[in-house]
This record gives sequence, C-alpha cells and structure tokens, in this order.
Amino acid sequence: MQALLLKRGLDLPLQGAPEARREALAPPARVALTPARIPFIKPRLKVAVGERVKIGSLLCEDKRDPRLRFLSPGGGEVVDIRFGPRRVIDAIVIALETDEAAVEFAPLSEDQISGMARETLVAHLLDGGLWPLLKAFPFRSIAPPDDTPPAIYVGLGGQEPFQARPEVYLQENRDAFTCGMALLGRLAPEVRLGLPAERGETLQALGDLASFEFKGPYPSDDPGVHLYHQKKDPAENRSWFIHAQDLLLLAEFCMTGRYPTRRLVALGGCRVRQPLYLDTRVGVPLAHLAEGRLKTDTEVRYVVGGVLTGYRDTREGFLGWEQTAVTVLPAGEEKEFLGFVRPGARKHSFSRGFLSALRYEPLSMDCNLHGEERPCVACSYCERVCPVGILPQLAYKSALAGEVEESLAHGLLDCVQCGLCTYVCPSKIELCRFLTDAKRTYLEEQTA
Amino acid sequence: MKLLKDFFDDQRPHFEPGGRFARYLPFFEAIETVFFTPAETTPGGPHVRDNLDVKRFMTLVIVMLLPHLLFGMYNTGYQALVAAGQAPGPVASLLIGLYHVLPMVLVTYAVGFFWEVLFAVVRGHGMSEGLFVSCMLFPLTLPPTTPLWQVALGISFGIVIGKEIFGGTGRNFLNPALTGRAFLFFAFPVRMSGDAVWTAATVGVDKAVDAVSAATPLAVAALTPKGGGIAAALHEAGYSFWDLFWGLYPGSVGGTTTWLCLIGAAALCFMKIANYRIVAGGILGVLATGFLFNALAGEGSSPWLGLNPFYHLVMGGYAFALAYMATEPVSGPDMDAARWVYGFLIGALTLLIRVFNPAFPEGAMLAVLFMNLFAPLMDHVVVQTRLRKRMVNV
Repeated sequence: MQALLLKRGLDLPLQGAPEARREALAPPARVALTPARIPFIKPRLKVAVGERVKIGSLLCEDKRDPRLRFLSPGGGEVVDIRFGPRRVIDAIVIALETDEAAVEFAPLSEDQISGMARETLVAHLLDGGLWPLLKAFPFRSIAPPDDTPPAIYVGLGGQEPFQARPEVYLQENRDAFTCGMALLGRLAPEVRLGLPAERGETLQALGDLASFEFKGPYPSDDPGVHLYHQKKDPAENRSWFIHAQDLLLLAEFCMTGRYPTRRLVALGGCRVRQPLYLDTRVGVPLAHLAEGRLKTDTEVRYVVGGVLTGYRDTREGFLGWEQTAVTVLPAGEEKEFLGFVRPGARKHSFSRGFLSALRYEPLSMDCNLHGEERPCVACSYCERVCPVGILPQLAYKSALAGEVEESLAHGLLDCVQCGLCTYVCPSKIELCRFLTDAKRTYLEEQTA
Repeated sequence: MKLLKDFFDDQRPHFEPGGRFARYLPFFEAIETVFFTPAETTPGGPHVRDNLDVKRFMTLVIVMLLPHLLFGMYNTGYQALVAAGQAPGPVASLLIGLYHVLPMVLVTYAVGFFWEVLFAVVRGHGMSEGLFVSCMLFPLTLPPTTPLWQVALGISFGIVIGKEIFGGTGRNFLNPALTGRAFLFFAFPVRMSGDAVWTAATVGVDKAVDAVSAATPLAVAALTPKGGGIAAALHEAGYSFWDLFWGLYPGSVGGTTTWLCLIGAAALCFMKIANYRIVAGGILGVLATGFLFNALAGEGSSPWLGLNPFYHLVMGGYAFALAYMATEPVSGPDMDAARWVYGFLIGALTLLIRVFNPAFPEGAMLAVLFMNLFAPLMDHVVVQTRLRKRMVNV
C-alpha cells in the first residue's frame, strides 16, 4: 500500500478525550435541523410551525438548487422555527411523538446499486436528502449533482480533539461501510480511502478497501491533505470527499430505505466528567446530550465539532446534521496575575517558551485568547504547522489586501481550514478565518 | 492582588470609549496587561489558542538579556577600577557599574516608552512589546561613557525612524536598537569610538587623570603592523582567546561576553524564539569567509587576513549582534532558506568590513543593518521559487 508520511501539523495535548465506551442516550423530547450550520446553502422553508412531519419529510430546500433537500430527522410536530440575525434559519424544532412515522424510500441491495444507472442513483440520493453530505473540493461546498469528479476521498477523521474516532464508530459497521464504498464507486471513477499507519483490528479489516496509508500529526487524516499530497494533475483539484461517518448514513439509507436518524456522538473536553461516546439521534439538543455530565464549577463553552474547526453554540442549541462531536471547554474569561512571566508547566505552546515543553502530558485548555492581537512578527510558526505547504503569514496579507491572483498563487484553495495557523499565532491573528473568508468570497465571485 | 485587580477594573471605564481619558487606552492597557493577562476569549474556531503571545515572546528575549546587563554592569565597574589602579572587588565593581549603566537603561526606557505611547495614542493602536526588547538591547551596545543626552537621542532615532514611522513593531524593516546605535556612531564618532570611551571613570576619579584605560581588542587588532600576527598582538595586550570569550575587557556595556551570547542564543533557538538558521548561518559565514581570507593571506598583507576566524567570533560585538540583533524576526527574512543566506552574509560582511575597512571596526552592526535592507529581496526570491513549484489550484 502506498504510504503517505506527513510531517507538518500539530497534535494538541488536550485533556478530556472520550473513552472508547459507547452508551445509549435516553431518547430526547425534541430534535432539530439547523440549516444555518450547513455551509453554502440558501434554505427555503417548506414547513410552518404546527405542521406534522414524518422522519424524512422535506423541511427546507436550497433556493439555488431545489434538488438539494433537507429532511426531517424526527417524526412529530414542528413546534418552533428559530431565526437568527438577517432571518437565517437557525433551527427547525420538532417535538417527537412516541411512535414516529417515516417516509418510505425504496431500499437498494448491493447488487441493485452496482446495476443501477448513475443518474438514477444520484436522483435517489438527492431525493433521500443525503446528497448534501458529499462535499466538493476546493471550497468544501455541497457536491454539484451534475458533475462527475475525478475521485472521491473518504476521510476517517478522529485526529482533531475530539472528533469521533473511526475505530469506535466503525465497530460492527463494516458491512454498511463496504456498501457505502461500493456506492461511491458508482459515482466516481476512483474512490480513495486512507488508513492510519497505526491501526487496530477494526481498521485493519478495511485493508482491502484502502488505497493508501498515512502517518503524521493532525490533520494528516484530512481528505484535503490527502488530495494535496497525492494529486498529479490540476484537474484533480475538483475531487469530492465525504466523511466516513456520513458515508455510513448514506449506506444505511440505501440498505433500509429509511432516512437515517442515528448518530454516534463523541462527547469530550475537560469540563466533561466522563468523556465518552453516546448513541443518539441526529439533531439532539445539546442540553440533553450534556445533562448531568458536566463539571459545574465554571462557565463553559459548547463547541460543536472539534476544538479547532467546530463552531460555538449555547446550551439551547442542537447538534448540527453534519456534526458528530461536542466538546465542552472552560470559557476562560478569568484574568491571570502576571500570566506572561509564569513558568507555565501546564501551558501548551508550539514554541518551547514554557516549561510544558519539557514533558508531554495532556493539558487542560480554555477558550482564553492568551494575549492581544498584534501585527505579525514573522515567527514562521504558521508555516511550520501548515499541512499543505501554504505560507499563511504571506497568504493572509494578500487575501486581506484583496489580491486574489496572489492569494491563489499562494495556494489559497489548497487550504484545508484546519485552524492550526490561527492556533499557533503569537500575534493572535485570525489567519484561518481570513483565508476561509477569502475562499468564500472567491467562490461567490465565481458563481455570481 | 484582588486590590490591584479592583483598581484596574475601577479605572478602566475612564479609558474606554466615552471615558475622560479614552485616547490613552493603549497606555492603560499596556500597564494593566503587565499585571493581568487580558480576559479576551476566542471569537470562534479554533476555540483554544497557544499560550505564547507577543508579550511572552519578547519577555523571553529580555530574560536572556538580563545576565548581559548584570555582567555588563560588573564589567564596567571592573574596568573602571582597573583603569584607576584600584583592586576590582566584585561588590565595588558591581556598584560602580550600576552607577554608570543604570541611568543609561532608565533613560532609554523612559524615552522609548514615551515615543511608543505617543505613537500608540495618536495612531490609536495597542502598544507593542517589541519596544521593551529594543530598549534593553540599545544601552547594551553603547560604550559605558555615553552621555545620557546622547542615549536619549539615539533611542529616539531608533524608535521613531527605525520603527514607528513605518507603523511600529511588525512593520519595521530595520532593527530599531541598531538603527539608534548606528545613528550615534555616525553622529558622534568621537564619543563612540577610539580608546577613551570604553572605560568608565571610577567614581571620584577625574577623567583627565584616567590615562591608563586599555585599548579594546578590536583597536589592538587594528593597530597591529603589517606582517604581524593579530592573535600575538592581542596576547601581548593581555587578551587571550579565552579572555575574549569570557568578556572581562573594555568594550560596549553588554556586548563583550561571548559565553553569555552562546547561552542566550542556544536558549532562544531551543525555545523557537530565535531562528537557529540565522545563528548557524552567521557562524558558518564567519568561519567560511575567515578561512578564505587565511588562504589569501601572504607576506606583507594586512594582518587581518591571517587571523584565525574563531577570533572573529569572540571579538567585538559580533556574537552579541548575531545572537540578539540578527535573530530579530521582523527585520530579518521570513523564509527559512533566506535565513541561512542572511545569517551567512552577515558573517561574511562583518569580516569584510573588519578586514578591508578597519576604520569601522564594529562591522557587525553595519552588516546586520545592511542585510536588513536585503531581507525582503531574499524573501522575494525564495517565495517566488517556492510558488512556482506549487501545482496550480484556481
């Protein structure tokens, strides 16, 4: 098997990694779809408060491409539609009934999938509302249904603290995963799966599906990083990718003919008493997920997703459709007396400017910025952690100056938005956000 | 501590927009953040951040400079006592040094701080901590006899022209401390060179009777006659290689001690605060150029050509300039390949100046400033080469 040895990146020694222990969570009273958290869509609402919906009923669609449908993760009554600033649809909340009705789709066997015309399969996935889980490089937007990509990369995830780890969510799911891989094989000429070089039995069993193995610090598991290091031709920049856990949903949908609602969620972070995996539903309320599981002595921040790439939410929020991790961190609003001259035996840094450099141990980290914004001092830390060889300290300047050509030459579109450049920056510059914004602006200019 | 926190919390509203002293917010924040880290949290992902900030970054450099300051004080007092023909006891040396050096440091900080606050208030941006490093470096590069008004003038030039008019720390293309030092060197050559300036007078001893002040090693070397060996001349003047290494000889306040520079550079490189590529390049540059000169040396050529290159590393302010000035990240290059070249050329240029133009014995200062000017060009070449290798993605 081809081996990919990746050197650049960074593993955060963060406390609170979920134990590989699964627990079934009591059914929630409500679930929700959160359209505002699905990037690059303009949702058009298709239900009203008070309406009754089934699992798999249409809740909203994309105004630009109505074939992109977003379906209900539960059966019951729509009790609330929350709007955010400028009337973005924050959440469509459904109160669940005890026996939920579900929309029936045609189940497909593996033979049927392999015998099907590609268009029929695409239409089936669009109809079943799962197509938007397929993403396209370089913008990480929803895959355009009319295109055929040169390849589809499957990302296992799990390196970022604290995404669900593949050896946990793939346990007992090998059949579904194989079916999913077969399904992708119908969509693209090539499906590329990378396995970590050090892997347990669960992943070892997938050996025949994999095309390469990788080794390295976070984000060496990112499909964008794999693409960057393996592409031989610029045409491959338009490849697609999907996260393995989402692929399981696709497979479940095809095999059962029902819109999938189960999710395995990793609950981690140093404010969680016993970090673990929870078997629960798509769109579960965060309060339900965290109920009785948090240490209660300090203010906390709910991060949906990993600590580097996830988004911030409140206790009242819901788990996003595409998300499978919740990390609870200390809010970090306290001022520290003479913080900048302390030896810092328990303060992590990419530099070795603290005593923590002398030994490796998991540390507690909070959401404090640990400093104030300053002009770039050319320390090159961002360059040293960038997994795709961008010079973030120069690329962000050209992005901010609106120099599109120059930022593209710097590899703006190769950026995998891993967040490491922002993490290490001693000047506290939001490098990753500037690059991500520049990508979005460029996409909007392209499609306008 | 609680008291202090309450005090700052009470005063803060006056400095925030709408308060009486809203303009002086940068000043207030500069003082407050010395005592308390700011409470600011991350706006979004990444939700956790590295603990290193620019304040810590700069503080670590200052921490490495403190031994230089201490040793510089001791050495200043020591040389003053020796020149006055008295026994240089450790306590007396330190006290006399303190008397000479502390006012210079205080004046530098007061004047530098004034300019930084002024520009921060007028421009409405935060105060940057780079200032504190510049103000620590500057007096260490001066002769201990520099009059205080020249100290004030030099640091003013360094901070204002070397940094602030370009936008402050992060946007300066010259090393501010060296800019100030170079200004004094060219504006007041009499006070900045020659034999008399490097040894401070002992308290109570008139400068006029102080006739036995020793020549600096660079001066000894410059006066070596043709065909003579510099190493031998240095030996005769009482400077063995190891004397130069340990640094107990007349010179600038902080720049004589090679061993402290070695420790400082090693520590800063280990902590990834300074870039080891520049330091290694600088050492290689001196050795390579030095050995090349040795090969060129013949009968009757300048004695400098034949000098063992290792002497160059321990003489004058080269080690100090390389450890603390060349490694300043902002005015140096951004690219690793350029850092090797930059360091190497600083070493080569220092030797070129020393060997072929002994009128400027302090070649290191000019070499660093000169290479500061070339850093953007070197970066440009490296960046363009690197970008051409990227597979296009548009």
